[in-house]
Amino acid sequence: MPVETPKLHVVAVGSVDDGKSTLIGRLLYETGHLRGDEIEAVEEASRKRGRKGIDLALLTDGLRAEREQGITIDVAYRSFDANGRRILLGDAPGHVQYTRNMVTAAAGADAAILLVDAKNGTTAQTRRHLAICGMLGVRDVIACVNKIDLVDYDEARFIEIADELVASAAQIDGPRITAIPLSALNGVNLTEHSPETPWYDGPTVLEVLHDLDPPVIETAFRMPVQWVIRHDEGTHDIRGLAGRIDSGAVTVGDEIVALPSGATSRIARIDVLGDERESASAPLSVTLHLEDDIDVSRGDVIALAAEPPLVATRIRATVAWLDEQPLTIPARLEARQSTRTVPVIVEELHERLELDTMEHVPTDVLEANDLGVVSILAAQPLVLETYADNRALGSLMLIDPATNRSVAAVMVSNVLAG
Amino acid sequence: MTMLTEMTTLDVLEAEAVHVIRECAAECERPVLLFSGGKDSIVLAHLAIKAFAPAGLPFPLMHVDTGHNFPEVIEYRDRFATDVDERLIVAKVQDSIDQGRVQDETGLHASRNRLQTTTLLDAIAEHRFDACFGGARRDEERSRAKERFFSHRDAFGQWDPRNQRPEPWTIYNTKLRNGEHFRVFPLSNWTEIDIWSYIEREGLELPSIYFAHEREVFLRAGMLLAAVEEIERLPHEKVFTETVRFRTVGDMTCTGSIASTAATVAAVIEETRNSDVSERGASRADDKTSEAAMEDRKRNGYF
Ligand SMILES: Nc1nc2c(ncn2[C@@H]2O[C@H](COP(=O)(O)OP(=O)(O)O)[C@@H](O)[C@H]2O)c(=O)[nH]1
Repeated sequence: MPVETPKLHVVAVGSVDDGKSTLIGRLLYETGHLRGDEIEAVEEASRKRGRKGIDLALLTDGLRAEREQGITIDVAYRSFDANGRRILLGDAPGHVQYTRNMVTAAAGADAAILLVDAKNGTTAQTRRHLAICGMLGVRDVIACVNKIDLVDYDEARFIEIADELVASAAQIDGPRITAIPLSALNGVNLTEHSPETPWYDGPTVLEVLHDLDPPVIETAFRMPVQWVIRHDEGTHDIRGLAGRIDSGAVTVGDEIVALPSGATSRIARIDVLGDERESASAPLSVTLHLEDDIDVSRGDVIALAAEPPLVATRIRATVAWLDEQPLTIPARLEARQSTRTVPVIVEELHERLELDTMEHVPTDVLEANDLGVVSILAAQPLVLETYADNRALGSLMLIDPATNRSVAAVMVSNVLAG
Repeated sequence: MTMLTEMTTLDVLEAEAVHVIRECAAECERPVLLFSGGKDSIVLAHLAIKAFAPAGLPFPLMHVDTGHNFPEVIEYRDRFATDVDERLIVAKVQDSIDQGRVQDETGLHASRNRLQTTTLLDAIAEHRFDACFGGARRDEERSRAKERFFSHRDAFGQWDPRNQRPEPWTIYNTKLRNGEHFRVFPLSNWTEIDIWSYIEREGLELPSIYFAHEREVFLRAGMLLAAVEEIERLPHEKVFTETVRFRTVGDMTCTGSIASTAATVAAVIEETRNSDVSERGASRADDKTSEAAMEDRKRNGYF
């Protein structure tokens, strides 16, 4: 079994002005992650903007354009330590037109902090964010019903919103929801339980972060080859297969298969960045040495021979369309998948996910920020799994070779024959 | 035997950095590693060497030398390149000045920090580099927090923060047009403490100025600047001797030291943990000019 990874990726999402930046700033502040001069800088910036007291939202709103408009445009990352684990916190933008940045921030996230304004309740944007979290396989959503101070810490209002959230998540077979009545501004239920909400006996935001399950790392061993290290050691040539273990663990002596070629061999030596080991697991970067001199190069995937992934050219997948230029069929693009880049054709566009109602509707175009279901044909075989089985081998990025823009994030739902 | 060693945060950060370094080496044609002799670039170079060992680095190191660097750092830089037996390119700001590409600043706050940008972009063009590894971390500064691992720069070396390429999962779009390049930041998710802990774990040697030593300094804007001829002083800026160390090692003219008796890596870690001032706050004189100073310089191709 792979060991626990001491690192979690959490994304914070919400509509503009729901208080996300305030929450993150305050969380870092209350957990002692801000230095005196950083606090001073935020105080200074607050004064310049005519704010009373310190506006902790200004801590993460880093870019000038954002400060001018007072909104979060791009994803900002902050690291902090909680309960002996490193948490990488991505602050994702709220505006509908930046949904693509939210997709980027939430891809690979283990949990999400979702903000809802207690006055406004859940909105179409809230459901959209929940749907994206569900689609990307985010397991846990910490749903913060924020600005609870503005509804006089009303329990009934909190329960109403919490019920709506749970119902929305159930509709899409979505993530686990923990709802918390919160005032990011006043620090209510953020790191400490508050007398303002005596009726609430659930966890604080920090407590949920402390108790999050470790990241799911699938157990089947897979390592995409990034680079072949060649070195002449006098008597013999060394050939090391360098890459990062995407999932599972590998041990010296294991029988492996190199895909797509299908050549097999055994693990002779495992080098973990200069440290020779009997075995190694995800997500370590390693150099593997095989017993036989089989033909392996960048783009190939090394897997346990007993449980190999699939090799195919045709997939059905969910796409998050990121580009201003809409998707129409057929689209000739390039796919980055694992360590491979291949030409692809998006052959069919089956449906669009209507995020507000969670309905699948037929369509022949996907606009920026739309989610849809497509069929893709690759020019060369890809080593694949479904996204549900293996996030690393089940995810792709589409690039438009005409513009070099990253146009879509893709999650494989079915690997098709032929 | 299937015993797995327990993993630490450093193990995961190390694996992530090596993954990014290998991706860049494989996908870009002419990468270069920006090596200043500072602790972040030392960690970066160490990781790069590990990533390709026992073979050598598939790219050279490059230092943009302002000519106002601490001699201890320059000495370290040259020794490091010799010890690891890797190619070191030195791009000199003085050459850019001599060629009339830039004008040396004069006066009290004269610094070559801003001039570096031209020298760097010229060197990138001359050597046709398409990727520059840098040791920047997201925890350094607010606008850094938005950086991607592969940060795209147009043919003018400019960064467009509003139009960054999405990086879902660990998939990077490494496509470039002629003249464009990437700044690649494998240490994005490391913190200052992580860097020091890694230096301790790996037993890395650093330039001596990172540790407590006696130095002639003077006080300006709350910072202890080195009393050297490259920095003009006002009459009231009196020189005195103090036991100091540097938290970053940039250009002498704009890098402040802190009073400290921390003489070992362990002592520095202890002191950093308890410090109430961020690394940038303690060291960078030129950043205080404007709240958005960093972002502006980055848009124009600064590193
Ligand atoms: N009353 C109240 N105001 C809040 C609370 N949290 C945030 N705000 C305010 O709501 C506004 C938007 O907050 P901000 O954090 O910038 O929202 P973001 O756009 O989601 O990042 C700011 O004026 C905050 O001071 C809260 O819990 N209660």
